Amino acid sequence: MAGGSHKAPAPPPQEAAEGARTRFTRVPDGNEQTETAVTPGTEPEATTSQAALRYLDDDRDDRSVPNPLRDARDRRLPRVPDPSALVVFGVTGDLARKKLIPAVYDLGNRGLLPPGFVLLGFARRDWGHGDFEQLARASALEHARTEFRDDVWSRIAESVRFVPGSFDDDAAFDELNQTLVDLEGTHGIAGNVAFYLSIPPPAFPTVLNQLDRTKMADSSTTAGWRRVVVEKPFGHDLPSSRDLNHLVDTVFQPDEVFRIDHYLGKETVQNLLALRFANTLFEPVWNSNYVDSIQITMAEDVGIEGRAGFYDTAGAARDVLQNHLLQLLALTAMEEPVSFDSEALRIEKRKVLGAISIPDDLDACTVRGQYERGWLAGQRARGYLDEKDIPPGSTTETYAAVRLGVETRRWAGVPFYLRTGKRLPRRVTEIAVVFKRAPHLPFAKTDTVELGNNQLVVRVQPDEGITLRFGSKVPGSAMEVREVSMDFLYGSAFTESSPEAYERLLLDVLLGDTTLFPDHNEVEASWRVVDPLEEFWATKPPEHYRAGEWGPVAGDEMLAREGRRWRRP
Amino acid sequence: MTTTLWDTTGGDVVKALVAERRAGGAVASGLAVTLVAIVDEKNVVTAEQAATIAAQAHPCRLLIVIRRQVDTSDRLDAEVQVGGRLGPTEAVVMRMYGRLTLHAESVVLPLLAPDAPVVTWWHSEPPKAIATDSLGVLAGRRVTDCSLAPDPIAALRGRAVDFAPGDTDLAWTRTTPWRSLLASVFDASPARARSAQVAAEKGNPSASLLAGWLSHRLGVTTELTPSSGPGITEVGIDLLDGRDEGSLKISRPDGRMATFSRTGQPDRQLPLLRRELGDLLAEELRRLEVDEVYAEALSQSSGIAGLAERSPLRTHLWRDPALTVEA
Repeated sequence: MAGGSHKAPAPPPQEAAEGARTRFTRVPDGNEQTETAVTPGTEPEATTSQAALRYLDDDRDDRSVPNPLRDARDRRLPRVPDPSALVVFGVTGDLARKKLIPAVYDLGNRGLLPPGFVLLGFARRDWGHGDFEQLARASALEHARTEFRDDVWSRIAESVRFVPGSFDDDAAFDELNQTLVDLEGTHGIAGNVAFYLSIPPPAFPTVLNQLDRTKMADSSTTAGWRRVVVEKPFGHDLPSSRDLNHLVDTVFQPDEVFRIDHYLGKETVQNLLALRFANTLFEPVWNSNYVDSIQITMAEDVGIEGRAGFYDTAGAARDVLQNHLLQLLALTAMEEPVSFDSEALRIEKRKVLGAISIPDDLDACTVRGQYERGWLAGQRARGYLDEKDIPPGSTTETYAAVRLGVETRRWAGVPFYLRTGKRLPRRVTEIAVVFKRAPHLPFAKTDTVELGNNQLVVRVQPDEGITLRFGSKVPGSAMEVREVSMDFLYGSAFTESSPEAYERLLLDVLLGDTTLFPDHNEVEASWRVVDPLEEFWATKPPEHYRAGEWGPVAGDEMLAREGRRWRRP
Repeated sequence: MTTTLWDTTGGDVVKALVAERRAGGAVASGLAVTLVAIVDEKNVVTAEQAATIAAQAHPCRLLIVIRRQVDTSDRLDAEVQVGGRLGPTEAVVMRMYGRLTLHAESVVLPLLAPDAPVVTWWHSEPPKAIATDSLGVLAGRRVTDCSLAPDPIAALRGRAVDFAPGDTDLAWTRTTPWRSLLASVFDASPARARSAQVAAEKGNPSASLLAGWLSHRLGVTTELTPSSGPGITEVGIDLLDGRDEGSLKISRPDGRMATFSRTGQPDRQLPLLRRELGDLLAEELRRLEVDEVYAEALSQSSGIAGLAERSPLRTHLWRDPALTVEA
């Protein structure tokens, strides 16, 4: 029992108590330095837990030792990343200022940054550390979700570094490399570095080649890990995304690449998995026997907001449909993963994305539109062609709707209607599962005229929550059935503001958890869906809709032909 | 949106709550838990503030029970709040007098949210035996706070004697940031511990629990040394790192910023704030399952073995204070 070299089970409680009690003595006066001593027993191992025993036993390789302070049952302890550096390229951009830096601050404020975390900015500015710290502080102050505390900031500020330079400047990247080496000594980051590429797509190859040249991307040269975070767009069609994936995957290992789709960091999207797979209520009806159709909508009330250069070459389908909408479709339609680790989840998503079918009659089953001037929320809105820097006669779409199918037994014959658009009446993203009508209604026809299809709506943003629509009797002497909704609002059930998507995703990058990041197979599968649409659309001009309308008339007609209508979100 | 009821009955309180909810548009449709707070009159304000903060993370129906003197005539005063000064929660503040204080459950039971878990929280000196308080018996989770006792260390030992799975103490909750930091330090570079030390204000129950946890997890002796505070001020662990001896130390002399030092590495500063009561309560409401790790730490620090194996069921023990006084 006492031998420490055996993986012995914990001793019987009786013995343990005896040992501990004899040692737990109070020194009568406080002069002595030791007030009390909590000892595990007469022998050091006597009350030691299993974890501690394993840990005491193993003296060959400390790396393989489980952390004795961690316990799966100890749910209070959050996972905190290893000491590491986050290198942000394009740190002066909008995304970095509005999302990344505030997310870093929020993580620090919640105690989720490790001791020895460094935020390293890289941009073409003639700046010192002080200037960058000023910018970072201002953006944390303005955009952080949690309360701004000087204590917390001052500790983050100590570990903020800036390296000036342009992407084709070899000397600047050498300096960056040297800075990272120095940080191992001063901050103990042990070679752990995540590179965040918050830069326009044309700059990707330059930066990746620089990382390759300086061997910064090569984790085999250091004791720690190297990771890279890439923002959308992941290419503009299948060949270009393949090239990009190839480039990224040659510089980094595939499991070191994190592609950010910030929708997947949202609580409601993760809740979709909880809704489906943690309950018994929904999964039995989650198939073509009960589901009539599925509508996935992402509407924005804003226009293109100064992104003219990028947007005009991309359009709504490449900007939103290829990534966000298809990811939402995948999570809605996928089979139950065997576990919630990243590989199991990706396998299921990949299967669904691979099973998506494109309609034969693209003319009848797809719609693209472009907004004209109109009125939105009580204000004049200019048309797309009048926006700044849009070339005259541009045929880029700002609205795209498509009917897709998922060729599996579960979804055979169920249409998936996807739509996205800019300058629509309100900003909303939702997934609506529309159920079939009851096969038989034992009421008089006039009783149920106001009864529609049952619907289950997952609102992704804003007002995150779930709505269930079903028929209910109207109070009164006559039998009359009309639709009512039952609402679950995240905001009122859990009023604590949910972590921002970037906060969650950044933490996952530092922890090395790839569950919420699409891999290159998913990206390529998505392009396989979008490329034929783009090819077809290139031959015809977009339909028009007034800013402030729910898209072009053709969009409504597309559903009307099949006896359905868009849900008004 | 407050209804105040003087010298009322439990039935009228239920009616007032229903009426207030309807007027307020049934704001709290997503109730996750009922929180029963047993509070001394002098602690009512701090309890309300803390519960309001905790309710932002975990929507709850808050039932505050204030037991006044027993030796007077029976009487119930109640205040029903929906969407008022207590934030988005629905709350009922009840003051009980006379023999009613011994039968508080008769008022509380019909007010519990249907099928939601019940958490009872003593924002006062912890009871000696929870089974004697029917409001503790009906809860699945019982939260005490030893630091409010005149002798916190004795109170902590009392909690161990009386322990049943489902009990927790805010003294344990206060150790979470320390434990989180220590665990992440071991994540980064595992090493074997030879001994550990915890320095804290004299009579700090959190320090005892932290020492108990370290001893249990690391399998080493943990010394407790008194310091001038506030709270826990330092944790040190002597390491055997490969073949080299070393040590790590986290010291927090001011209750705000900690310095982390480890042999062979530069010192680092990081925030380690003492948290507000509301944040502690929110952490307790976050997970309502049995906290076995707490049971083990309490077991280790008190020397009473087998706490985690006890039955989680409590049966109410009737103890009449009037009879106790005569005896």
